[in-house]
Amino acid sequence: MQIRDYVLRRLMVLPVLIIGTSLIVFTLTRVGGSPIAIYLSHEMTPEEVAEIEERYGLDEPLPVQYLTWAGGMLTGDWGWSGVAAAPVRQVFPNKLGATLELAVAAGIVAVAMGIGLGTYGGSRRDRLPDHLTRVFSISGAAMPIFWFGILLLIVFWVGLGWAPIGRSNADVFSSITHPTGLYIIDALLAGNWTALVDAIWHLLLPAVTLGFGTTALIARMMRSSLVETLSEEYVDAARAKGLPEKLVLRRHARRNALIPTVTVIGLSFGFLLQGTVVVEIIFRWPGLGRWMADAVLRGDQATIMAYVMFTSVLFLLVNLAVDVMYAYLDRRVVLGS
Amino acid sequence: MKLRSNVNARPLSVTLVVLAMVVAACTGDTTDTTGGADTTDGGEATTTTGETTDTTAPTTGGVSNPDTFVHAADDEPTSLDPAQVEAGEGGETVILQVFDRLVEFSPEGPDLVPGLAEEVPSADNGLISADGLTYTFPIRAGVVDHLGNPVDATDVRFSWDRVLTMDLPESNVGLLADNVASTEAPDAETFVVTLNQPNAAFLNSVVTQSVASIMSEEFVEANGGVAAGQPNEFIATNPVGTGPYVFEAWNRGENMLFTVNEDYWGTPANLDLRIEIVPDPDVRVLGVRAGDYDTIETDPSFVGEVEGAEGVTVFQGEFLLEPIHIGLNLNFPADQLPDTDTIPADFFNDPRIRQAFNYAFDYNAFINGALGGFGAPTPFYLPQGVLGYSEDLPVYEQDLASAEELFREAGVWDEGFTISVIAEQANLFEVAALVLKDSLEGLNPNFSVQVLAVAEAQFDEAFASDPLPYAMWVKNADPFADPHAFMNEYIHPDGNWGQVHGFRNGYQDADQIASMIDEASIITDPDEREAIYQELSALLYEDPMWIIAGNEVAVMAHRDWVQGFVMNPLWPRPSLKFALFDKG
Repeated sequence: MQIRDYVLRRLMVLPVLIIGTSLIVFTLTRVGGSPIAIYLSHEMTPEEVAEIEERYGLDEPLPVQYLTWAGGMLTGDWGWSGVAAAPVRQVFPNKLGATLELAVAAGIVAVAMGIGLGTYGGSRRDRLPDHLTRVFSISGAAMPIFWFGILLLIVFWVGLGWAPIGRSNADVFSSITHPTGLYIIDALLAGNWTALVDAIWHLLLPAVTLGFGTTALIARMMRSSLVETLSEEYVDAARAKGLPEKLVLRRHARRNALIPTVTVIGLSFGFLLQGTVVVEIIFRWPGLGRWMADAVLRGDQATIMAYVMFTSVLFLLVNLAVDVMYAYLDRRVVLGS
Repeated sequence: MKLRSNVNARPLSVTLVVLAMVVAACTGDTTDTTGGADTTDGGEATTTTGETTDTTAPTTGGVSNPDTFVHAADDEPTSLDPAQVEAGEGGETVILQVFDRLVEFSPEGPDLVPGLAEEVPSADNGLISADGLTYTFPIRAGVVDHLGNPVDATDVRFSWDRVLTMDLPESNVGLLADNVASTEAPDAETFVVTLNQPNAAFLNSVVTQSVASIMSEEFVEANGGVAAGQPNEFIATNPVGTGPYVFEAWNRGENMLFTVNEDYWGTPANLDLRIEIVPDPDVRVLGVRAGDYDTIETDPSFVGEVEGAEGVTVFQGEFLLEPIHIGLNLNFPADQLPDTDTIPADFFNDPRIRQAFNYAFDYNAFINGALGGFGAPTPFYLPQGVLGYSEDLPVYEQDLASAEELFREAGVWDEGFTISVIAEQANLFEVAALVLKDSLEGLNPNFSVQVLAVAEAQFDEAFASDPLPYAMWVKNADPFADPHAFMNEYIHPDGNWGQVHGFRNGYQDADQIASMIDEASIITDPDEREAIYQELSALLYEDPMWIIAGNEVAVMAHRDWVQGFVMNPLWPRPSLKFALFDKG
């Protein structure tokens, strides 16, 4: 089977998974409580509650409500977000941009540092650098995000005054347009150096906070995988050929050690998205995670369902991408399927 | 009324101490942090060709953001439309700055000052009719809204009628609907209101409120108009009024931006305004310490974390008008109570039980603990600062001997009971419920209190039920300026809570209480009203329908550089009019 056929087959299954996910999301959300909660106050009479139910179509039978919601999700009408006081669809792109920017930046931090540290430690097994990277990894995995984030704020925001909080400086933000909702991209498109520096500067602390835990995970996986790979016979053969150790590491060992690490990286992206909830609250980052946390506490179901559907679909797509990468890295995956 | 912030135990103080030495080593001066993130070393912003090259906010003379006042709010509004905003909700903060009303509370206290009306109506100036039914408001000439649309008496009438026509259940429309019989605008400079019945609290409790804010008819008609029962989504997110601040932008989850209304009919604001959305109380505290925020939504429980900080002042003002109370439900469906509850349906009908609960509650623990000492007991139902309040009025103090005696008399001491109390989790309400639990379970091991701490949405859903399927709940009162509103809402047997809780099942003389409240509402002589309310409060001490855990003192942490700071609890939260402030 060709890689193309493999990808096509995976793509054909995707809609079924998405419909199934939407049914689960809708059902579980409704089991969790009534969508009317966010609009209620104790002054309301039963008649007034009925008025609000009618306003938002909540007086219809559940199957009708599901079809209305699912149809709306497809056509871009994602309902009204009581938390953001705006249509979900209108707010979503900016929130998504903020979260994606944060998650991608954290992912870059995590992958770059994780693979680097893992390779560094794994290639120096049981020597001081290996022990140091292990301590770093364990501390990253053990340290709660909220605590680490507050720590960074106290030192770099309040104490040193080096790093700002929030997503941007209000004046700089309004000095450029935001066609993509990704401030770094927007700044590049606008050719505005100040806005670019501002965006990166605001992104730094939350990205490091979010990426730290995942850095540790990737570093540990990379290290152990590399240690295992370096003990393979074909690596010994490469060495026996007289190849320099750096070349053995780069060309033979690291590429194969990356296969299990890529799996972890793919899964980690989902965890990074989930981790944004805490980081966004601490760093006042206006992303999906914070919006969603607020929506859960206040029963804003339109927001909750849009978010859950988004993360579910994204997770499916990322895993598809990982599987494709598997196929690229190891053709036996395709042949076996 | 939403509570301002969480009071979770936070590691912040400890962490600050631990890190102080680290920071000191890095900076060499831990106190020089006024600029925080938004400062440069030199305290000056460098600009080139109209672009700010500093990635953070500029400073001048050590003052961060010298041209903009920055307030850190604890949550995001859900509507900025006076016809839709819920009382006590974050949208009221914006409405107070962007819109005007006919009359306003003065910065100093409960006195009224002219707003869009040129005079405050009174019997003396003849603008209130002899029968107390007709109020005449002479409207200011030459007022325009932020888009330049003229605003006169016809717009005032339109604004009030719009609220009544939309009649949105989430809003405070009842204030107008319950009082106003008709409105007229005989000419462009005169607005006349006729009431259903005389109401001594009309100006204080209705005309000053967000729901009575004024906007231009031209603006509304150009942006969706008025539809019965339907919110105007445009105006809910794009308010245009005549107030000192012009609404510019709402960056969801980040901030709301306002500029000075240079054409304001009164004294224009000194600074632009930015309201930052900062739900995490720790971050608000760090922000005011860093100098990024000029004022922060402050809760008494974290005053200790900012008190004494370099460059920060903690303002302590008057009492808020939102006592934290525990509701005693006399009308719950016994078969719908939580399974663990063992109380009969008429449990609270016995006044001895209600008195015993009031005697058992540990007020000192709540006020000195949860409120950090920034609070006091409150008589029924006259919060400090409201007409009729007196320090001489009886308030409950913890008296375990009296509580035991009353529980024994009522016949529940030996057998005991299990009762549930529902509250929003992770805030002062939950703490009050836990204090009640400790108080009762400490008094008698046969007493058991189950604290059901739930998310806000779950609480709101339960709270809106009628009948309410819980015997007890904790929340705070809505803030009112006049005693009638408190008495009618929380005491009257046929009032809102009187009906839901079935007060008539328990009052020893419900008709007497009803008639006293009704009588006081139509008397215009303040001394006479005061006497009635005080008599009523003494009666209610013997026949309590609530446990009032305590009333908070208004506290606000702000930077030292804020000039003209003033806070009036009668203004919607955070009780600030930013146009009055300057920095320097």
